[in-house]
Amino acid sequence: MMQKNLPHICPSCSSTLKVKSLVCEKCATEVTGLFSLPLLASLTQQEQDFITDFVISSGSLKIMAQKLGLSYPTVRNLLDDIILKIETNQKNNKTASK
Amino acid sequence: MKKWLFNPFIYIAGTKALIIGWAAMLGAAVIGYYSKTHFDGVLDAHSGHAAPMWFYFEDALVDWSLLVVIFYTAGSIFSRSSIRFIDVAGTFALARWVMIFVAIAGFGVYMPGPNQPVSMEEMMKRVMTGPVIVCGLLSLALVVWMVALMYNAFTTSCNLKGGKAVWSFIIGLIIAEVLSKLILHTIY
Repeated sequence: MMQKNLPHICPSCSSTLKVKSLVCEKCATEVTGLFSLPLLASLTQQEQDFITDFVISSGSLKIMAQKLGLSYPTVRNLLDDIILKIETNQKNNKTASK
Repeated sequence: MKKWLFNPFIYIAGTKALIIGWAAMLGAAVIGYYSKTHFDGVLDAHSGHAAPMWFYFEDALVDWSLLVVIFYTAGSIFSRSSIRFIDVAGTFALARWVMIFVAIAGFGVYMPGPNQPVSMEEMMKRVMTGPVIVCGLLSLALVVWMVALMYNAFTTSCNLKGGKAVWSFIIGLIIAEVLSKLILHTIY
C-alpha cells in the first residue's frame, strides 16, 4: 500500500495547516474543531524515522552511527539539522499564533 | 564511489580516520624521502631537495597540526554544533592520504637540489620533458583533490554549510599555508 505523507503546509498560501476533524475508523464518530498538528508532524517521514531510531537507541549517536553505517559527525549533523528545523518551526508557529 | 573519493568522512571519522590518515601520511613521508618530495606547506609539494628522513615526518606533523588547530578553532567559533576535536583531527589526517600519490609522482619530477648547481639551460631541458610535465600536472591535480577532501573534512566535522563554510575554509587555509611555510622555513 502506498504510504501517504501528512501534509502540513497549505498548497495555496504556504501557511501551516491545522486539523479540522478526526474520525473513528470503527464507529465513524467524527470530532470537529481546530487542532494544531504536533510539532514532529511537520518533519519529513525520513526525519521522523531518524528521531524514532534515535529514541530507540537511547539517544546514543554512537549506536545510531553504527546502525546507519555513517560516521559520528554525519549523524550528529543530521540531528543538528533536525533540531534547527524544529526550532524554526516553533518560531514560525509562535509568530503565526500571535 | 564519488562520495568515497571526495567525502569519505560521511562514513569514516574520529579515531578510525586518524589511524588510516596517519598511516597514509607516514607512508607518504617514507616514499617522499626516496622521491625527494617535500610537503613543505599545507598545500605544497616540491621535489629535488634531499634531506634527512625526519624532515619528511616533520613536514607531515607541522602541516597536519596547523590544519587541525586552525580549523578546530574556526569550527568552534562558527559552528552551532558541539564539534569534537578527534573528528577534526581524524578527518584532516584522512584528507591528506592522497599525498602518497603526490610522493610517488615525485619520482618523475626529480630536480637538482641547491648543492647540485646546473645551468639554466640544463635545468630547462630537464623540466620541459614529457614525463616531468605529466608528473607535475598530476601532482597539481592531486593537490586540488586534497583541497576538496579538506573542505569536506571541515564541513563534515564542524557541520558548516554555505558561505560561512566557504569563507572560513579559504581564510583558514591561507593562514595555515602561511604559518606552515614560516614554521618549516624556521626549522630548516
